[in-house]
Order: sequence, then structure tokens, then C-alpha cells
Amino acid sequence: MSDQKVVLGYGDVSFGDELPEVIPDVSMPMVRRFGETTGMTYWRFTDHEKAREAGLPGAIVPGIMSQGILVSLIHRWAPEASVLKIDTIFRAPVVVDSRPTCRGVVTDMDDEKRTVELDLTLSNEEGETRVLGTALVSL
Amino acid sequence: MDIAELKKKWAGWTFDEVRFEIEAEPLAEFSLACGETLPRYTDPQDPNFQAAPSFAARFHGDRALPEGFPSDREASFDGGKAVDWKAPIRPGDTLIARSHIHDIFEKTGRSGGMMFIVHRMEFSNQNDEIVSIVDWKMIRKL
Amino acid sequence: MILDLHSHSIVSDDGRAKVENYCQWIRRKALSLDGFVLTEHRLYDDESDYRSLEDEFGLLILKASEVETDYGHVLVFGVNEDLRAALDFSRVDLPLQEVLAQAQGCGALAIPCHPGRTRVGMCAHIETRGLVEGVRIIETLNGGSRGEENATALALAQENNYHSTGGSDSHIVSHIGRCATRLATPVSNMDDLITELEAGRCEAVVWESEEWISPN
Repeated sequence: MSDQKVVLGYGDVSFGDELPEVIPDVSMPMVRRFGETTGMTYWRFTDHEKAREAGLPGAIVPGIMSQGILVSLIHRWAPEASVLKIDTIFRAPVVVDSRPTCRGVVTDMDDEKRTVELDLTLSNEEGETRVLGTALVSL
Repeated sequence: MDIAELKKKWAGWTFDEVRFEIEAEPLAEFSLACGETLPRYTDPQDPNFQAAPSFAARFHGDRALPEGFPSDREASFDGGKAVDWKAPIRPGDTLIARSHIHDIFEKTGRSGGMMFIVHRMEFSNQNDEIVSIVDWKMIRKL
Repeated sequence: MILDLHSHSIVSDDGRAKVENYCQWIRRKALSLDGFVLTEHRLYDDESDYRSLEDEFGLLILKASEVETDYGHVLVFGVNEDLRAALDFSRVDLPLQEVLAQAQGCGALAIPCHPGRTRVGMCAHIETRGLVEGVRIIETLNGGSRGEENATALALAQENNYHSTGGSDSHIVSHIGRCATRLATPVSNMDDLITELEAGRCEAVVWESEEWISPN
């Protein structure tokens, strides 16, 4: 989390604003914690070796965990925001124990409804977009 | 496989209905594992405690596809999820989730020919209020 | 002139960007881009009219298609009624040879895109089935490519003396202009663009260190 300003309301936002980047915790203990609460304890999420044997680059982060991580990025930026819609496309696996980066930018604003649209990405260390999304947020 | 025929036959009708009782701890655990820091999502003692906005995406019905649908769920992978948040989900809520196939289409990608099945799950609470609509894109290799 | 020759709007099934927001983004971020081409998946958008946005933002906005063939995905510029009557754009297995021939016959231009990608790029198919007659231009820079995919595409172009284009393949607003095509002569419509591309007066470029760089 950078030390950029926290957004308190719609008036604090401009088109093109960048959300403070976040390096989320996708370590094995955290993915297992997520798996235990959601029932997603399959080997492809929790066992690097088995996942590699199956042709994956390693154990992978569940898609809905990536989605939840992107939602948390929005809340860190604007704690009072209401996320009305989040739409994520799982383009490629995010590997457990890797160091991905979450980013977001403001790409549309509706002055009447006081909502903003965001582009959201989760990229790997090489800068490749693995999870792509958009969100509609009320401020 | 004729995708237009598949869509005509299988899309648009409810094939699954499931009930979920909502408890505080799984809501908080989901949020904490996703890196949430706001007490309204992480602390059951917070007066406004509720599920994180994408929480409903974690639920599965009894069936992923209608009985007799000519595609194996086990052979598919997750292409994406969209959550339309309508109202808070809170501990003590009873949710009813109804599933239908919203769309079926085909395209090609890095994995070759693929059929996309858009599975829509609508969640309503004990007051018959819709709280979330979740679209899940299941991708089946052709 | 710099144009992004590969982008998608909400008209595409997986596109999440509104065209107006692309324009706002280009201007707000002061991208050095003169316009873009919307290459919607498996269809041609003949309904949308972007002329007012072109005027408001001073950008050239053209429309094209991305179709799916037995040799991977292909951008088609200059789509007209004759071509749409000749090809079913919704198919995912159009023969590339036929797309190339029909495009040429209808005054359009077909350009295989992201050829370095597995399955949806031309290179993998060439390895097993050989080169396709009639390809003269390929997309060598694609903003959505991973790993060595763009390098593989560039090598294919160099081996076969294909001309090169570039495009962002953007599906969300903030990805517009990740890659683009530099044209030697400014164009103002699709016919002029096709003329320039066919003549090879184009090169794929990427924005690095505050300037457009050609990796060739």
C-alpha cells in the first residue's frame, strides 16, 4: 500500500486516477485459509507438485480469491465505496507463492449517479495480465 | 455440437435451487483471506458487518449443469465470474440460490476451440430480496 | 501517424471498454495516438457511429473485425456487404485461404494477428500444415501477448518478408495504445489505411521511454 490519498467520496476522484498498487498475499498459507473457508481445497490450489505434474505452472490461486483481492484493492483506495458490480476474466493462472501486483484505474465517471468504473488487473512478476476485470463503484 | 440448438434447449430455465444459511465466521474468513482490512467485512462485532461484495461467487449449487446436459463439468475450467451486488448479505440470513444457463457460445482461444457456458445464479434472502447475481463462465474445450 | 489497429469495445463478448472512454483515456493520459481501429470478435459492428467522438476528441476511429480461422485469428479491414455475404463471420473455423481470397476479391485486407500464440496464432499451424499463400502482412506486436509470442511473430515476418502491424488488443480502457502501427502517410479513412498497409508503408511500434519504438 502506498501513501497516496484515501478517497472519501466522489468529489475526490478524477478520470484516469490510479488506485494505489497492492501486492496481495497469495502465499500457500493464505490460499489454504481461503480454501478452508470456501471448500476449495483441491490439489490444484494447495499442492505445487501435483499441480505441476498436471501441467500447471504450480498450485494456482482460486479465481474467486483473485476476484476478492481486487475488491479489497477498491476498499483500500476508497473505504466507503460500495462495489455494485465486479466482472473478472481469469485469463491465465496466478501461481501460489508468487508476487503478483493488483492495479486499478478510473475509466468512467457518472456525475449524476456518483458512480465510477474501474479497470482492474492482477499481473505477474513479468507484468503479464493474469486476471482482468472491471468494477462499478458507488462513492 | 450445434451451439445454437444447445442454447435453445438448455438456456433460460431454472435447473437448481439451493438454500444457504449464513454464518459470521465464513464471511469474515473469506474477507480476511482476500486481504480485506475494513471492519465491516472482517469483524463480526462491527455494527455494519456483512459479506464482502463478491462473497456470493463462492457458492455452488447441487448441480453445475442441468441433468442430461451434454457436457462434462469436470472437463471444464473457470473463465471468469461477474458479481452484481444488490444488497448486503449478513449473518443469520437464509439465501435461496436459483441457477439457470444464461448463455452458450463458442470461440477459439489459446486452449483451442471452446464452448462458453454462462451459468447464472440468483441469490435472494429470507425477505425475497435479491442480494446478488453471479455469472460464472464455464469453458469447455471442444 | 500512429494508429492502434487492434482493439475491442463492449460490442465484443469479452470487451469491457466503451469507445468514448477509450477517447477520454487517450486524451487524459496524453497518449501519442492518432486513432484506433475497433476489431470486434466474430462480427462487424455496422450500427455504431463514432463520428461525433472523432470530432470531439480529434481522433480517427475506424471499424473492422477479428475473425477466427483454421490458422488462428485474423483481423479484417475494409469489411463490406460483399465480404459479409461471402463469409460467415460467426464461424470459428473459417479457412484462412478463403478469408484471404475473399477479402482480396472484395477490396478488403486480412491480417493474421498474434501469430505467436498457441492455437489462435498462425505459427503453430504453419509448423504442422505449412505456409498459406496470400499472407503479406501479419501483426507482430500484440499488447496481450505473453512470453516470446511477439518475438515468434516477428521472426515469422522476417523469414517471409511479411509487413508488420501492431495493436493493443485492448479489452479494457486502460490497455488502449499498448502497441500500435506507425504509418508513413497519414490516413483519414479505411480505404486509405488499406492502401498504406498493402504498400507496406507501416511498422509495428511499442511505447517505451516516451517514444514509439520499432523492435524490428
